[in-house]
Amino acid sequence: MRPAPPLLMLLPALVLLPVLALLPSQWHGGGGELIGRFLLAAVQPSLDPVVLRSIMGGLAVTLGMAFLGWSASLVLGLVLGAASSRTVWSTLSGHRWPAEALRRLLAIPRSVHELIWGLILLQLLGLQPVVAVLAIALPFGALVARVIADLLDTLPTHTLEALRGGGAPAPAALLTALGPPLLPGLLSYGGYRLECALRSATLLGVFGLGGLGTELRLTMQSLEFRELWSGLWLLLAVMLALETGVARLRRRWLMPSRLGLAGGGVGRRGREMVLALLALVPLGLVVARALGVEASALLRRPPLPALPPPDWAAVAALPWPALVAGTVVLTLVAACLAVGLAPLQWLLVAPWPAMKMLMRLGWALQRLWPPPLTALLLLFLLQPGLLTAALALGLHNLGILGRLLLESAVDSGAGRQQALLGAGSGPRQALLYGRLAPVANAYLAYGAYRADVMLRETVVVGLVGATGLGSQLMESLSSFAWDQILALVAVYALLTLLGEEISDRARHRLLEGKGQREREASQLNTSY
Amino acid sequence: MPFRLRSAAPFTGLIAGLALAVAPALSPAVAPTGPLVAPAAAQSTSQPVLRIGAIPDQKPEKLNRLYPLVAGELSRQLGVKVKYVPVVDYAAAVSAFRTGDLDLVWFGGLTGVQARLQRPGAKVLAQRDIDVSFHSVFIGNVRSGLRPFNQQKGLTTLKGRRFTFGSESSTSGRLMPQYFLQQAGVKLSDFAGGAPGFSGSHDATIALVQSGAYDAGVVNEQVWRASLHDGKANRARVQALWRSPGYPDYHWIAQPDLDRRFGAGFTTKLQQAILSWRPSDPEQKQILSLFGAQQFTKASPEAYGRIEQVGRSIGKIR
Repeated sequence: MRPAPPLLMLLPALVLLPVLALLPSQWHGGGGELIGRFLLAAVQPSLDPVVLRSIMGGLAVTLGMAFLGWSASLVLGLVLGAASSRTVWSTLSGHRWPAEALRRLLAIPRSVHELIWGLILLQLLGLQPVVAVLAIALPFGALVARVIADLLDTLPTHTLEALRGGGAPAPAALLTALGPPLLPGLLSYGGYRLECALRSATLLGVFGLGGLGTELRLTMQSLEFRELWSGLWLLLAVMLALETGVARLRRRWLMPSRLGLAGGGVGRRGREMVLALLALVPLGLVVARALGVEASALLRRPPLPALPPPDWAAVAALPWPALVAGTVVLTLVAACLAVGLAPLQWLLVAPWPAMKMLMRLGWALQRLWPPPLTALLLLFLLQPGLLTAALALGLHNLGILGRLLLESAVDSGAGRQQALLGAGSGPRQALLYGRLAPVANAYLAYGAYRADVMLRETVVVGLVGATGLGSQLMESLSSFAWDQILALVAVYALLTLLGEEISDRARHRLLEGKGQREREASQLNTSY
Repeated sequence: MPFRLRSAAPFTGLIAGLALAVAPALSPAVAPTGPLVAPAAAQSTSQPVLRIGAIPDQKPEKLNRLYPLVAGELSRQLGVKVKYVPVVDYAAAVSAFRTGDLDLVWFGGLTGVQARLQRPGAKVLAQRDIDVSFHSVFIGNVRSGLRPFNQQKGLTTLKGRRFTFGSESSTSGRLMPQYFLQQAGVKLSDFAGGAPGFSGSHDATIALVQSGAYDAGVVNEQVWRASLHDGKANRARVQALWRSPGYPDYHWIAQPDLDRRFGAGFTTKLQQAILSWRPSDPEQKQILSLFGAQQFTKASPEAYGRIEQVGRSIGKIR
């Protein structure tokens, strides 16, 4: 027996039971005064011109880096995505294994956090702005590649078969059959990645360039809350503006015009896209020039560190089972919290519009605060440990998943909900069965992708005590223990692969039958 | 065609917004703290630029105030361009020194030794008067029931408690304290939860111990005193448990090839310049007070032999 999709969506929220049961034992509440100071600082951020100038400059650098990293990751993702698609390979060569192999290989860049990429690239390329761009582009590119490959492989293949059957050469048939249907998914996912890149550049603290990330990180570590809030407010404004802009574009380009002829006529969308694309190229060049990002820097080879002989005995002596178990539990609890809480919260506040506004504001703040900040605030009230770490990661990602849920549910149309309301169901039932049910599968699939991200993010919440592999990786990095770093990255990659395998299987079980599969593909398009 | 214009508004708006946001980066008037020219580009110009850096152990506002002052003062004394390059963490500072992207760096004890091992020939130039014998202070939450002690053996009372270090690479917030704990027979796995936390900074350690998240922690004595002085540390809620014996800490380290790039005798001139700072000069007074020192003194690499030994014994240096 399988539960219906909307209930499946709420199932992860069951993790709340053990979490709430354990919470009182973790409570110390001794930092209430610090929380108070933090909140008070929100209404009186520092307006010191020196601080503001450095924040504005930092924001410009961060935005520029996010933009460049995002562009590079899209290019990388498109190429690698096509190269790891089963459909593409089987059409071109009749074999599927190269796609499978590449797909698994890409788990390595995907499973390493941007911060770690930055530190590793710093070793290879030196202190260069290009390091920050690559640190975003590599893991994001591999992630985009996975999503593109998934999209390509879930697209209906009858057009492709028809073209091939008609004698069209393979490359042309692929482009014609898969190109146009891929575009909507690519556009909406691409837009979403830009938001992710901004968040990531903020956490990263751009190497050798300062940037808002460095400012936020250091103000947080030194508890200068007023200065921290100056940066956070500015970032919130930029983040919301970006999200709104991306959502508008997405709707404009992807939603079929309701009033048919009222649009700008045939080809308007294509013209706008080409224009936007053309505008992005010079913009990228200008930004790269302003930030001193140079392709030639990639050719620079500073001497590698004198590598001490690897000490595999010490590597083997690390408490692996405990590290892995800690990381897996942390990721699972955080993922369940984030995935399950978003629809639950929405259902709870459904009858009151004012509460819904509050919820949206809460989610915006949650995704704005980098996970280490959430962890620090939680530590003012809770004892360090796995639960606190899971809450920090869970709450941050809840902010992201909540927004995606809202957005995709808005697109799913209010008609069904209205019909249910009209038929006399309560507001919560109407929301659950009218709006949430159609997007449930896509939302859960997205939750699985997001769990990958949470696995990587376990490296940034080390201040809540031992968080398994993440804490160990930070420790090995600061000891320049290359053998340990290598082993840890390998374990992260294995866990990522395993997680993807499980989520893929779960998804395929959810989507039995081809018709449903096609519907899923179209839902994925609108929900990223 | 007003309609067409309006229909294109959303995306041109987005792009214009992005461009506007990036625009400040183009104008030197509001230049961010970081350099806008890549270090490699700076190197290729005819006049070499001395790039200075520091481990980020202070609040950014202080770093942004202090190091541009240092850069200005060195530039005035030496007659070369000096630029402050901020880095995001301790390990990044070490790596940037190894790759030759920073010429002169204010390192901690451990990071300095790591940097010299990774960049053979690097020169130890100077330390502060207080760095000859620097101390850590173990602190405890008052409600935790932990009481101050005079003997190192007292550290065993921390067994089974929630305990946090500062940054992983900090000498005063991690390396030497771990050594003293080890000497007293306390293993890291003896702490509650099976491992210590790493708060990331001295300020965070004080706040987290004061709030009760951790029962105890350890911080750099200079920061502890400053926190007591400005009221950030509340004596009713957090107290010093034990002051560690002294050990050498922070120091300035320079690249081995400065003489080749800036002219014969440059390294010595640089060292003399730092050593010459006195509170009698208003500019230099500001620098010294931000460093929390009366003046800088000569430092020798031998003084850090003990740090290296401890670093090796606990696996931070390999």
